[in-house]
Amino acid sequence: MDQQKVRSFTERYLKSYECHIIESAPTYLQTQLSIEADKDLLNRPFYWMYVERMNLPPQPARFCFIFDPENCPEDLRGEYLFFGSPRFAQMLQSAQKHGRFTRLYQQPSSRESLSRVSKAYTPWLGMNFQVSYICDQKKDRITYLGINLCTGEIVEPFYPTIRSLGWTSKLPPKRHVTAPRLSFAEAVGELEYFLQEQIEGEDPTWAVEAKKRLEMELDTLAHYYPEQEQRTEEQEKERVQRQRELIWQYHPRIEVQLINGGLFYMEQPAKQLSLKVYDAEG
Amino acid sequence: MQHFPIHWDRTWFDTFQTLLEQDMHWSTWERFQLAIEAAEALVVPNFDTLLSLQQIHGFVPLPHQIEVVHRVMGEMRGRAILADEVGLGKTIEAGLILKEYLIRGLVKNALILVPSSLVLQWTRELNQKFQIPAVAQKKEWMWDRYPILVASMDTAKREPHRNHILNKNYDILIIDEAHKLKNRRTKNWQFINEIKKKYCLLLTATPIQNELEELYNLVTLLKPGQLGRQSHFQNEYVAGKRKAKNEEQLREEIQRVLIRNRRRDQNLHLTKRVVQTIPIELSPEERALYEAVTEFVRNRYSQATDLKSMLSLLVLQKEVCSSRDAVFHTLFKLFQRGEQGKESLSPEVAHLVDLLRQVTISSKVQKAVELIKTIPDKVIIFTEYRATQEMLIRALAKEKIHAIPYRGGFNRNKKDWMMELFQKRAQVMVATEAGGEGINLQFCHHIINYDMPWNPMRVEQRIGRVHRLGQKNDVHIYNFATKNTIEEHIIWLLQEKINLFETVIGELETILDDLEKEESIEQSMMRIVLEANDHEQIRERLSEWGDKFTQKKQVVIEKKQEQEGLLYGSAKG
Repeated sequence: MDQQKVRSFTERYLKSYECHIIESAPTYLQTQLSIEADKDLLNRPFYWMYVERMNLPPQPARFCFIFDPENCPEDLRGEYLFFGSPRFAQMLQSAQKHGRFTRLYQQPSSRESLSRVSKAYTPWLGMNFQVSYICDQKKDRITYLGINLCTGEIVEPFYPTIRSLGWTSKLPPKRHVTAPRLSFAEAVGELEYFLQEQIEGEDPTWAVEAKKRLEMELDTLAHYYPEQEQRTEEQEKERVQRQRELIWQYHPRIEVQLINGGLFYMEQPAKQLSLKVYDAEG
Repeated sequence: MQHFPIHWDRTWFDTFQTLLEQDMHWSTWERFQLAIEAAEALVVPNFDTLLSLQQIHGFVPLPHQIEVVHRVMGEMRGRAILADEVGLGKTIEAGLILKEYLIRGLVKNALILVPSSLVLQWTRELNQKFQIPAVAQKKEWMWDRYPILVASMDTAKREPHRNHILNKNYDILIIDEAHKLKNRRTKNWQFINEIKKKYCLLLTATPIQNELEELYNLVTLLKPGQLGRQSHFQNEYVAGKRKAKNEEQLREEIQRVLIRNRRRDQNLHLTKRVVQTIPIELSPEERALYEAVTEFVRNRYSQATDLKSMLSLLVLQKEVCSSRDAVFHTLFKLFQRGEQGKESLSPEVAHLVDLLRQVTISSKVQKAVELIKTIPDKVIIFTEYRATQEMLIRALAKEKIHAIPYRGGFNRNKKDWMMELFQKRAQVMVATEAGGEGINLQFCHHIINYDMPWNPMRVEQRIGRVHRLGQKNDVHIYNFATKNTIEEHIIWLLQEKINLFETVIGELETILDDLEKEESIEQSMMRIVLEANDHEQIRERLSEWGDKFTQKKQVVIEKKQEQEGLLYGSAKG
C-alpha cells in the first residue's frame, strides 16, 4: 500500500466512522475523532472506562495524521501514518471489526421509468472467506462467494461484481423481496461444501512437501536419542518436547476464516450479470 | 488423499443469524467495503515474497540482509544461527525475520534474550526500525502481559522468571551473543534447551571460539541430531580441538543451519579512512605547566603505594595534554582527598596552581577552531574529559560555531535529542563517550581526536561510530598531538606501530583480551610511561609493547582463518 492509498483509505475510514476533518493539507489531515474511532485507534481504555463510569461528557481527541513527514510543517504535532505503522494497523483492524455483517438493497437506477408494478428482489448471501495455507510457512487467498437463496446457485467471485452497483439500507419504493427457499444455515452449508471441494481439488504439493520435511526432521530427531530402553527420564521428556515442537512447526493445515458477509437483495438474476455460475448440485 | 485438516472458524455464525432475525445493527455498505479492503491489504499472497520490506520505513536493508531472511525462512525453516561478522547487521536480519513472521501471523509471541546492557537498545531498535511493539522486561508480571518481550539472559534464567518462561510456548526465540551458550554443561545452555519454541535464531559473530564442540552445542539447541549424536560427531568430524576431519561434509551440514556473511564476500568494504596527525606546539606557559605536572606525577608515583592513586596520577598526566581545565579539576579532587584538614596547600601544589593560572590560551583549542573553520561539514570531537568538553563548547560558541555536548550520563531522551540536533542543526558535536550504545553517526565523516585514549579499543569505538556500514564518504580522522609530550608517543604507537587508524582490525577485542590476561592495558601503559627514565626509553618500551601486540594479532588471525576455513571452505576463503 503506497502513501496515496493509505491516505484515501484513511479519509474513507474517517468519514465512515463519523470523524470530522478540521484541516486537509496535501501532507497531513487534522481531524476530530468520533468516540468510536477514538476507542479503536488511540488505546486509552482507562479514559473511556472512567468517562463511562462517572457519566462524564465524553471528549474524543483531536488527532493529526501525517502522510509526508519530510514536507509537512516542522512544528506540526502529529503522527506519521504508513502501511506497517501500528496506528494504521489499528485502523485496518477497526475497519475489519465493524464491517462484518450487512443487509442491503440494490439501488434502482434513476433513469428507470416509473412503473406501477412492484419489482421483485432476489436474495443473495454474499460471503467473503480467507483461506490460509499453513505449515512452517504461510499464504492466504480471499474467496468472494455468493449464493442465490432462491435457486441455490453459487457464484464466484460475487463481491467484485456487485461492488460497482449502488446499495441502500432501506427498501426502495415499488420493490418487494422474494422469500428465500434456502435457510441461512443451509446456504452457509452449501458455500462451505463448495469451498471445501475447491480446496481439496487444489494442488497439494505445498502440504506434501511440508509433510516430507516433517518426516525427515522427526527421523533426524529419533536418531539423536538413545534407544528407548536406554533413555533416561530426562532425555525422554526432552525428546517428546522436541517432537511436539517439530509438529507445531511443520504440520500442514488449512484455516478458513470469515472476513465478512451480507444479505444482498438484487434486481437482476445473476446469470444476466454474466457471472461465472456453478450449479449448486454439481 | 487429503494431506491436511481444514479448520473452519464458525464463531461468527450465531452473531450473523441473530442479526438476520432482528434485521438491525447492520454495517453500512461503505464499512462493509472498508473491511474487505483492510483484509485485502493484509493478505499474504504467497509463501516466499517478503512483505516486511513494504512495511518498514526510514531505512533500506542491504542485499545480503534480505538474502539472509529468504534463506532462514525458505531453507532453514526458521531455525538458524546468524553468524555474520561484526558490523554487518545481525540485529537487522533478526528484526526483519521477526517482522516477516509477525506479518504472516506465524509468530504472535516472541522472546528475545540478550545481554543486559543491550536490552534497551534491542527494544528501541525493534520499535523504531521495525514498528514491532517489543517491550523491555523489567517486572515479573510482565511475562504474562506482553507478547513480545526483550529480557536479559541473566534475569531470565533465575527464578521466578525462569518458571514463567518455561511454562510458555514461544513462537520464536531469539538469542543475541549466543556464543555464551557454547558449553552444554552450563546453566545457560540447559535453560535455553528447556524453552519451548517453534522458530529459533541464535546470533553470534564467533560460533567457534575455541573448540569444534562449541558449534555442536549451538546446533543441538536448534536442531538436535543435525550433526548426529555427540559420539558420532566426535568420531566423524573431530580430529583435534580446533581441527576437523571430513571437512567438506561437515561444512555442508553446518551450512544448513548457519549463515555467515563476511565483508569481503559481500563487497561491503567500508570507505577509506584518511588519517592526519595535527602537531601542536605548546605555548611557553603550557609547556611550563606540562613539565611541572609531569615531574609532580613522577615524584608522587614513586611514593604511591596503591594502584588507585597511581592510576589517578596517570589520569593527571593524560589530562595535561588535554586541557588546563581538566588538570584543575583532578588536582582539586586529589587534594580535597589527600590534604584535608591542612591549613594551606603544600608548596608543590601551590606551584602547580600558579602555573595553571598563567595558562590563559589553549593552543589546542585554537587549532580546533582553526581546523573546524576549514571543514564545511559536520565534525565530531572526542575528548575523554568533561572539563575539556565544557571548555570546548564555550570556546566554539564564542566563535559562533554551533556545538552540542554528548555524554554517557545523559538519559536516553536527551541523547536522542542531542543526536537529532547534531544531525539537523549543529555543526559540531563534542562527545566524551564513544562506547555507549546506539550512537550511529554515519551522516558525519570528520572526527577529531582532541585527546587520545591509551586503550586501542576505545579509539576504535570512537571511529566505529562514524566509520560503519552506511557511511558513504571517506572518513577523515584528525589526531591532535602536542609536540614533545607523552601524547606524541602514544599516537606514534597507535598509528605507526600497530596501525590502528587506517584499517579495521577485526579481531581487536580478542587481541586485547589476550594481552590483558597478564595486565590491563592501562596498567601496562602507566608503567611504561611513568617508570621510564626519558623519552627514548618510553619509545623503546612502547615499541616492545607494539611488537607483542603484533604477535598476538598474528596468532589470532591464524586461529580465525582455521575456523573460517571450517565454516566456509578454503575455496571461498
